[in-house]
Amino acid sequence: MSDFDIGKPVRKVDNDIKLSGQAKYIADFHIDGMLYARTVRADCPRGIIKRIDIPVLPEGYFSVTADDIPGKNIIKFLADDWPFLAKDRVNYFGEAILLIVGPDRAKLLELAGRVYIEYEMIPAILTIKDALSNNFTPIFGSDNKFASYNYEKGDVDRGFSAAFKVVREKYSTGYQKQAYLENQGMIAVPENDGKISVYGSMQCPYYVKNALVQALAVGEEKVRIVQAFTGGGFGGKEDYPSLLAGHAAFAALKTRRPVAVLYEREEDTAYTPRRHPAEVTLETALDREGRILGMKADIKLNGGAYAGISEVVLQRSIYNICGVYNIENLRVTGAAVATNTVPNGAFRGFGAPQVIFAIEMHMESLAKIFSYDVLDYKKRHMAKQGDRTATNGLFYDEIKLPEMIEKAQEVSFYTSKRAAYQADPELHKGIGISLFLHGCGFTGSGERDIIKAQLKLRRKKDSKRVEIFAANVDMGQGLQTTFRKIAASVLDISVADVIFAYPDTDRVPDSGPTVASRSIMIVGRLLQKAAERLKKRWQENNDIEIIQDYEAPERIKWKGGESSGDAYPAYSWGVNVVEVEIDPLTCETSVTGAWSVFDIGQPIDEMIVEGQIQGGMFQGLGYAAMEVMANDENGRSRQNNLTNYTIPTAMDFAPIENHLMKTYYEDGPFGAKGAGELTLLGAAPAYASAVAQAMNIHIAKLPVTPEYIMREASENE
Amino acid sequence: MVESFFPDNLEKALELRQKKEIRPIAGGTDLMVRWRRPAGILPAFSGDMLFTKNIAEMNILQKKDTCLYIGANTTLAQLIEWKWTPRLLRLALLEMAAPAVRNVGTIAGNICNASPAGDTLPPLYALDAVVCLQGAAGIRELPVSSFITGPGRTVLKRDELLIGIKLFFPAPDNDMVFYKKVAVRRAAAIAKVSLAMRGSKKNGYVKTIAVAIGAVGPTVVRLPEIERLAEGKTVLNAELLKTIYGEYDKFIQPIDDVRSTADYRRQTARNLLHHVYDNCIKWN
Repeated sequence: MSDFDIGKPVRKVDNDIKLSGQAKYIADFHIDGMLYARTVRADCPRGIIKRIDIPVLPEGYFSVTADDIPGKNIIKFLADDWPFLAKDRVNYFGEAILLIVGPDRAKLLELAGRVYIEYEMIPAILTIKDALSNNFTPIFGSDNKFASYNYEKGDVDRGFSAAFKVVREKYSTGYQKQAYLENQGMIAVPENDGKISVYGSMQCPYYVKNALVQALAVGEEKVRIVQAFTGGGFGGKEDYPSLLAGHAAFAALKTRRPVAVLYEREEDTAYTPRRHPAEVTLETALDREGRILGMKADIKLNGGAYAGISEVVLQRSIYNICGVYNIENLRVTGAAVATNTVPNGAFRGFGAPQVIFAIEMHMESLAKIFSYDVLDYKKRHMAKQGDRTATNGLFYDEIKLPEMIEKAQEVSFYTSKRAAYQADPELHKGIGISLFLHGCGFTGSGERDIIKAQLKLRRKKDSKRVEIFAANVDMGQGLQTTFRKIAASVLDISVADVIFAYPDTDRVPDSGPTVASRSIMIVGRLLQKAAERLKKRWQENNDIEIIQDYEAPERIKWKGGESSGDAYPAYSWGVNVVEVEIDPLTCETSVTGAWSVFDIGQPIDEMIVEGQIQGGMFQGLGYAAMEVMANDENGRSRQNNLTNYTIPTAMDFAPIENHLMKTYYEDGPFGAKGAGELTLLGAAPAYASAVAQAMNIHIAKLPVTPEYIMREASENE
Repeated sequence: MVESFFPDNLEKALELRQKKEIRPIAGGTDLMVRWRRPAGILPAFSGDMLFTKNIAEMNILQKKDTCLYIGANTTLAQLIEWKWTPRLLRLALLEMAAPAVRNVGTIAGNICNASPAGDTLPPLYALDAVVCLQGAAGIRELPVSSFITGPGRTVLKRDELLIGIKLFFPAPDNDMVFYKKVAVRRAAAIAKVSLAMRGSKKNGYVKTIAVAIGAVGPTVVRLPEIERLAEGKTVLNAELLKTIYGEYDKFIQPIDDVRSTADYRRQTARNLLHHVYDNCIKWN
């Protein structure tokens, strides 16, 4: 096994079925007698529902309202506030109020258009500022915050009292929509025995199941969730599918027919969760030499109308606020606030892209104030093995950032270009570098205390084939291939001899959601352990079933109430370099080069990791440069399709050159750590730094559009 | 009930136009999108549709002496390939939409859609394109700038069809050409601002200049009288330039919308205009 490298790419197992068009996504399902549901939505941002007039429905058509929900009309998240269907009041434009269900979709469109809803309007809270102004009736609780945190490390006051200089800056970031290729969709099928089966596009089959058990008020055995081929998720199919599955299930139970809820691009773009906009304030105390004595950070996230999973997103924001830097005296406050806008949710990076942008730009500002080279200044403050994390946890593994930076400099010629572009502003060229990390897996003790993942492996008697039973999904990221590879490699069998069906909650144990860059590192590790146990029993001549439960590494110490300890079991690392040239006439940016070096431990498949990197960095550059999403005066998104919500195309940025710094993580399979989210985090600050250099401006917000660059540049003149 | 018609010659097509309210459709890349409805539901066309694809007279693409005749069914992709397509127009076509749209979308459709941000319009205005309209009363030919009267509005009569476009070739010149489309991304994007310029010189002085600016007003902005101020000159003094820019400023009246801001469009259009007068036209 000495020269065996699991990273060597294999052909993705689903290439053929996807490329040939044979893969059945949820909209491709045709079930006899199936009806469609059309959602009737609030057309005001905040109000009391005074009256609902539903037109007389023809035979075979039904309406489904909050009154048709057998159990609790609340989607099961952390807080009990988000109804499946609004009953008495609405809290955002587009909130689902009822469904019109029937066989003909054109007829549904017409009938839905004739539903009349009368509201008593309530002044709507549309911005973070409004949310905290005390001028409005709170949407949530008494302070209008879904969650608020504060924690401190070291002695911040002492740091500030000794300061030679204090620098305070504000950064803000915008929405980002996941813009997966396949829109959200679910089909619920009522079974004979009162059971319901739901098929759909999703990341977390057990989240959906748990939500339905509560909403239908039935036993767990009465709900079955099956993942269909899923055309991208990026976090967008972590939370919302629970709501959609509820709608489909309520309608199926009422009509006794299979019911499909399939979103259009417009509906999906405008009314499903997106990345939280953030406002980050950083205040740093420095000594005469520019050394950081202490930092105060405040983070506010716009959570939208309902709590959803905003609290967990906020945790990742506040625990990653230091980026890769060792800040000994730190005070952090954070809040996720309620506004009358679409509830925000999970998106690749999950609260980290916002703060990584802020801390990277802030470090650059500090370097400039003291006339230091930006990269030198950052390197001086970088954390190293044995240092303490923001939450006073331990950086347990070696941090290879110095070697990674060197590699990035070598392949991008960062240093010489940075100097050359600085020397000649007329070139309007810039090059920026970002350093970042990603805490892999769930924040805090979530894996141990909440998820408690379990995985099953089975070999039947007289079979050489092995089946993986896990709830983690392939949504395009390659898990169908990488999981098979892990099992095959341990057992020394062919990838083709490993079965890994799309998750069906009647068959697979709850190995947790497909989120937080955890599938390979956490569940893949369970798979490796299970396979090792199976291997020892390989010669037995009977059915073998291995159940593998998650065990937290003993070194992990976390006190959630105090935000203290190891917020993550491991960290992945990244260095990005982005080079730009700006047309001074139009302030349009050309990304002329992009380079990356990542430490994700051992890649399970280098080609799949390459796919994650290319996609993640493009998504990050889109976030940085062009993806504008803004609300109108009703809190409704002005962007609702892929013409006006502009994600990048393959033509928009230079090809990305990637390098991997291979390390070995002892608690990951074959040494692997998380990769999926990390790849998005560094593009925005590297891009912003490059643009700032090219135009000699300060960049304090995302996205950095030509409109923004032109305004800043003209103010500079 | 909406009916579709597929006449195979112009006579039949014009007869239909005369008889009933019927809307011409060529590639459908605008109309199908405008009237599309959710998956599984037919597009909601408000009336009968006349599909022009089979009309032989509208499929002509030819160069005759100094005139290029582009039949209305000519696709954008065909024009990119055609060797006589003026360079200025090709520059715009190459940046337009995406290959799938270019393979079915037509230049005539882009004209009739009459969007202030229509990608072929600034080059067509700058090239003095003429549209050929045929109706019961016969053929009439109009400069594209007179044909389009506002966003989505043209002077096409109820019984007429736009059957083709005429361009003059050799376009009085192709000496100096500049085209810039400003959009949020490099493909599949609608212009925030665009500018097309062509000019010619003779014996060191400027003989002709044509500048057309898109997406800064209800129609493409072209100011022939102002262009004439520069013609016959070997150099433009600062005062004359100021006059020229001042005149353009009166017509550069963009709006805020989902794609950009009025401020950005105004400034960018000015910058491009100044660039064209300062740098692209090679004054002696």
